[in-house]
Amino acid sequence: MAAPAVIHVAVFALYPILRGIGFSVFRMNLMQPWLHRFIGLRNYTDALSDPAIRHSLAVTLIFTAACVTAELALGLCLALLLWADNRFNRVAAILMLVPITVTPIVVGLIFRALLDPSFGQIGYWLCALHLAPPQGLLGDTHTALATMIAVDVWEWTPLSALILLAGLKSLPSDILDAAAIDGAGACARLLRIILPMMLPSLFLVLVLRVTDVFRTYDIVFAATGGGPGDSTNLLMLTAVKQGLQFFDIGYGSAISILMTLAIAIMAALIILVLRGLDRRYSAS
Amino acid sequence: MKRRQAMAVQRTAICLALCLFLAPVLWLIMTAYEPSRAIQSTPPALWFRPTLSNFAAIAANFNLPRLVLSSFMLSAGSTLLSLLFGIPCGYALARTRSRSAVFIAYALLAIRGVPTVVTLIPFYLFMQKLGLLGTWWAVILMNATLSTAFVTWMMFSAFRAVPVEIEAAAVIDGCTAFGAFRRAALPLVQTSVIAAALLCMMFAWNDFLNPAFLTRAETRPLSVALLTAFGGNTTSGWGDLGAMAHLSTLPIVAVALLLNRYLVSGLTRGAH
Repeated sequence: MAAPAVIHVAVFALYPILRGIGFSVFRMNLMQPWLHRFIGLRNYTDALSDPAIRHSLAVTLIFTAACVTAELALGLCLALLLWADNRFNRVAAILMLVPITVTPIVVGLIFRALLDPSFGQIGYWLCALHLAPPQGLLGDTHTALATMIAVDVWEWTPLSALILLAGLKSLPSDILDAAAIDGAGACARLLRIILPMMLPSLFLVLVLRVTDVFRTYDIVFAATGGGPGDSTNLLMLTAVKQGLQFFDIGYGSAISILMTLAIAIMAALIILVLRGLDRRYSAS
Repeated sequence: MKRRQAMAVQRTAICLALCLFLAPVLWLIMTAYEPSRAIQSTPPALWFRPTLSNFAAIAANFNLPRLVLSSFMLSAGSTLLSLLFGIPCGYALARTRSRSAVFIAYALLAIRGVPTVVTLIPFYLFMQKLGLLGTWWAVILMNATLSTAFVTWMMFSAFRAVPVEIEAAAVIDGCTAFGAFRRAALPLVQTSVIAAALLCMMFAWNDFLNPAFLTRAETRPLSVALLTAFGGNTTSGWGDLGAMAHLSTLPIVAVALLLNRYLVSGLTRGAH
């Protein structure tokens, strides 16, 4: 019974991935088909030494680290606020699904409009009060990346809050009660008991968000298109531009395969670190 | 008394957070009914007379029924296909004792982690060769592949939680192996099936990158048409965009809120 799914995935995912790896060792630009030839790992070495790609990588890493940290921290705060089981909290948790479900392209456009310096409901007032640069928060190279981070945090904090809330609700209440009776303060209970027992949920949020934020495309494409300049030019935008707009298939494939490797390495690292932590806590 | 104060502080904080999460979406809905003169005014107008002119404008510029149909076909097609492949696969993997089952399940999960650009370029050429480029099938196959991987993973963990004894009893009572799967095991994982279907649908409905490159003008869904409605024009397009975003956002948000129980159960298990 597993065969149809496995065959389907092999034909429509594995085969294209292998073709992609194949393309990446060729000079292959559909605009210049006469130049096709095998060049080994040249695309990879070119990508790694290309200052534009290095800049993209730096932007992507900053974006990923900032988004994931903020989403974890704010998500944990929200989850703690919503912990008590009552009608108010249940309705609030349901309404938090809205940002997650809104089409990402629309999310990007909403914030692009709201932050517009001349007619945006937020952007106009920020500029009028000199709280934002005259080109608007998304139009200035110094503020655009931070603003896009805030947009991603707006969209995905509810997800981390919901996952952490589910984790909180599954904690055994007798241990928490015992700690409270023993006189552990709120902070001590959070740091010594709740967080260590929440490691599986925290780990889930971390893996999900790191692997997803690293390949963000839609919201940034809709809000800034990578600009101004290249201040929000994430790796995913660069890879799509090279491969699907300039049809430089070899180079585009090489960039996206490097991205895949980076994602795999980060996921593996997170799993290793958390395993180590888990062992230390369960030993003590 | 102190307890009640703490409660009040907590509720205020939650209300503030909800305002932050909901205000941008409410603003978008408002824009759809705002006359374009009010949208372009500086400083931004806070009050205006609601109008339906934006809807009239997009109805004149776009073949709306066709766009909605495309979005619907793409989501329904890829959801059905991934459930059809994913449920039996998850079941089979959960009931096999061999280690390779777990390996296959993890491999499928890993495929979902690959950024779409890696597959999109070769997939584009592949579809071109098959003559499917620009049809709904191209996008359905692409989305169904990614979704099959995660439906399998979700059903794998759901079926593993169902005790084998129930199916064994069904077989003793005269069910075939398939009958035991359909009558005994499947009803017990109903929640997971609905959650998986909902997430597949959401994923396909909101998807932009795949349909942007794999469809033509007649087969493109709302998410792709949205950017055309906005047209890169900084001022005049916003009303049209608001009206268009209505069509693309409200159905999926409504479904999500109605079926929130299933959505939350799916999201919190890490499938999205």
